Amino acid sequence: MSSNKIVLTSSDGESFEVEEVVARKLQIVGHMIEDDCVINEIPLQNVTGDILSMVIEYCKTHVDEEESEEAQTKLKTWDKEFMKKFDLKTHLKIILAANYLNVKGLLDLVSQTIADNIKDYTPEKIREVFGVENDYTEEEEAEVRKENAWAFDEADTPKP
Amino acid sequence: MRLVNLTVHWLLETHDQEDLVVIKNTRWVNLPAEVLRDVMKKLDESESTWPDRKQVVACAGVCKTWRLMCKDIVKSPEFSGKLTFPVSLKQPGPRDGTIQCFIKRDKSNMTYHLYLSLSPCKLFVFVDVTKPLLQYMLSDHLNSKCSGTPLLVESGKFLLSAKRTRRATYIEYVISMDADNISQSSSSYIGKMRSNFLGTKFVIYDTAPAHNGCQIMSSPSRSRRFSSKKVSPKVPSGSYNIAQVTYELNLLGTRGPRKMHCIMHSIRALALGQPELLQHSFDESFGSIGSSKIIDHSGDFSSARFSDIVGSQEEEGKERTLVLKNKPPRWHGKLRCWCLHFRGRVTVASVKNFQLMSAATVQSGPDSGAGALTTKPSASALAPQPGPSDHDLIILRTVWESGQGYVHYGLSLSSLCLSSLCYLLEQL
Repeated sequence: MSSNKIVLTSSDGESFEVEEVVARKLQIVGHMIEDDCVINEIPLQNVTGDILSMVIEYCKTHVDEEESEEAQTKLKTWDKEFMKKFDLKTHLKIILAANYLNVKGLLDLVSQTIADNIKDYTPEKIREVFGVENDYTEEEEAEVRKENAWAFDEADTPKP
Repeated sequence: MRLVNLTVHWLLETHDQEDLVVIKNTRWVNLPAEVLRDVMKKLDESESTWPDRKQVVACAGVCKTWRLMCKDIVKSPEFSGKLTFPVSLKQPGPRDGTIQCFIKRDKSNMTYHLYLSLSPCKLFVFVDVTKPLLQYMLSDHLNSKCSGTPLLVESGKFLLSAKRTRRATYIEYVISMDADNISQSSSSYIGKMRSNFLGTKFVIYDTAPAHNGCQIMSSPSRSRRFSSKKVSPKVPSGSYNIAQVTYELNLLGTRGPRKMHCIMHSIRALALGQPELLQHSFDESFGSIGSSKIIDHSGDFSSARFSDIVGSQEEEGKERTLVLKNKPPRWHGKLRCWCLHFRGRVTVASVKNFQLMSAATVQSGPDSGAGALTTKPSASALAPQPGPSDHDLIILRTVWESGQGYVHYGLSLSSLCLSSLCYLLEQL
C-alpha cells in the first residue's frame, strides 16, 4: 500500500510521480483516494508545475510527522530555509496552491512567513507590494492616516 | 439607433474596465478571504507587542477589505489585553492581566505624555547610596531631590499627550493622540480635562459620547464592535463630560490621606447586580536604598484601584453613573505612615497612591469594602526623575487592571491619573 505510486499532473502538463503517503498530504488528493476516485493519475488544474514541485518537496519532507522534539526542531529549521528560497511573489503562489490542495502545514508556514515579511511596511508599501488598491473615501483615508500616524509614532520615551 | 450605439459603447467600456480590474487584481486582491484571514491572524498573534504591533494597524489601513478583516480579528483590549488601534484607549481595559503605563511630564512646555510601558517587569532602577530608604518612603514631595543616579530602564509606546494651559479661571489640559501637535484644533484632539483654579476639581471631557456598545460586554461577537462603524472619521468637535474628580485638601498636609470623589459617567454596570470594579493604581516607583543595592520596583508597590459597583439605578435605560471614592488609608505603625492594603504588592506608602471604590462600599467602612476589592490590585506610580536642570521629568506609573466583571476605560483612567498628578503638583 505504502509503495503505491500516484501521478500528479500540473495545469501546464508536468507530471510528478509520488508515493501515496506523500500525495495524501495534499488533502484534496487524500479525499479523492478515500472516495476511490483515483486510478493512478490526478490532474491538478490550478497549480503549475514549478509550484507543485515545491509543494511536493514540502510534503516529502513532512511525510513522517515525528513527535520527538529533535525531529520537530529539525523540521522547523528546514521550513525556515525552505521559505527563504522564495520571494514574496512565489510565497503568494505557494499559499494559493496550498489552499487549493489543502496542505494545512504549508498553509500555516507560508502565512506566517508572509506575516513576518511585511514587518515595517506602511499601508502604502503593502498596497504597492501586494497590488491592492486603496478604495477608501477621502474621509476614511484621513482616519486611517491618523490611526497610522499614532501607531507609527515613536515619540521619545524618557531616557536616563 | 443612437440608443443602440450608446449601449454598445457602454458594454465595451464595462468590458474594458473589467479587463483592467483583472490586470490590477492579479495578485493579492484575488487571494481567497480565508487565506488573507490566515495571514492576518498570524500577524495578530506574532506582532503582539509594541512597537511591532503597528504592523497590524498598517494592515487595517490597506483597503476596506483588509480593514474589515483586521478589525474583526483583532480583539478589543478587554479580551486580548492588548492595545492595538487608538480607539483602544477609549475602550474597556483588560479583564485579566494588566496594562502598564507611565506619564512623563515635561516641565519646560507643560506637556504630559502617556506611554504604554514596554518593559513591565523592570520598571525602574534607582540607585541611591546616600539616603536612607525610610526618608524616601515618607517623601511625598515631588520636588524632592534624589541624589542617586536614576536609571530608567524602560521604553514605551506613545499613547496620548496632554498640554496644560492656564486660563483666567481654570486650567485646561488638552488631550491628543499626537505627541507633538497638542491642540484642540488638531484632528488628533480626543478630549480634555479642565480643573478649577485651585486644582482640586477636574472634569474630563471626551470628543465623543461614551460608547453605547461598551455596555454589552458578554457576547462573543463583541470584537465586531469596533469594526465597520469606526471607519468614518469625524472632526472631533463634541465635548462630553465623561468623568469628574474632586479632591479634598489633605487632612494632614501633603503627607496625610487625601479624599477623592469621582463620578464616572462613561462607565456603566456590565450587568445588573454584578459589581463592577475599575482598577487602577499607582505604583510607587521611586525608591532608593541605604546601601548600594539596587531596587527593582517592578510590582512591589501599588495602590490604587478603582472599584465600583452598580451605580444608582435611576430611570430605566438611562446610563448609570458610578460614584467612586478612595478607600481611606490606615495608619501603619511600623512604617509610620498612611497605608493602603495591596495584598503585599505595596511595600511603600504614599499619598499618591489611591484605591477607588464605589461610594456605597466606602460608606460601610473600609473593611467591608474588601469584598469588592478581591481582584488583583493594580498599581501605578509617581516618581520624580531629576532631569537636567529645569527640564524635569515626572513619571507617573499606572497599571490598568480589572478583575472579572469589572471594566475601565483608558481615557478616563489616564485622565484620572493625570488629575491626580496635577492635583499634587498644584498642592505642593
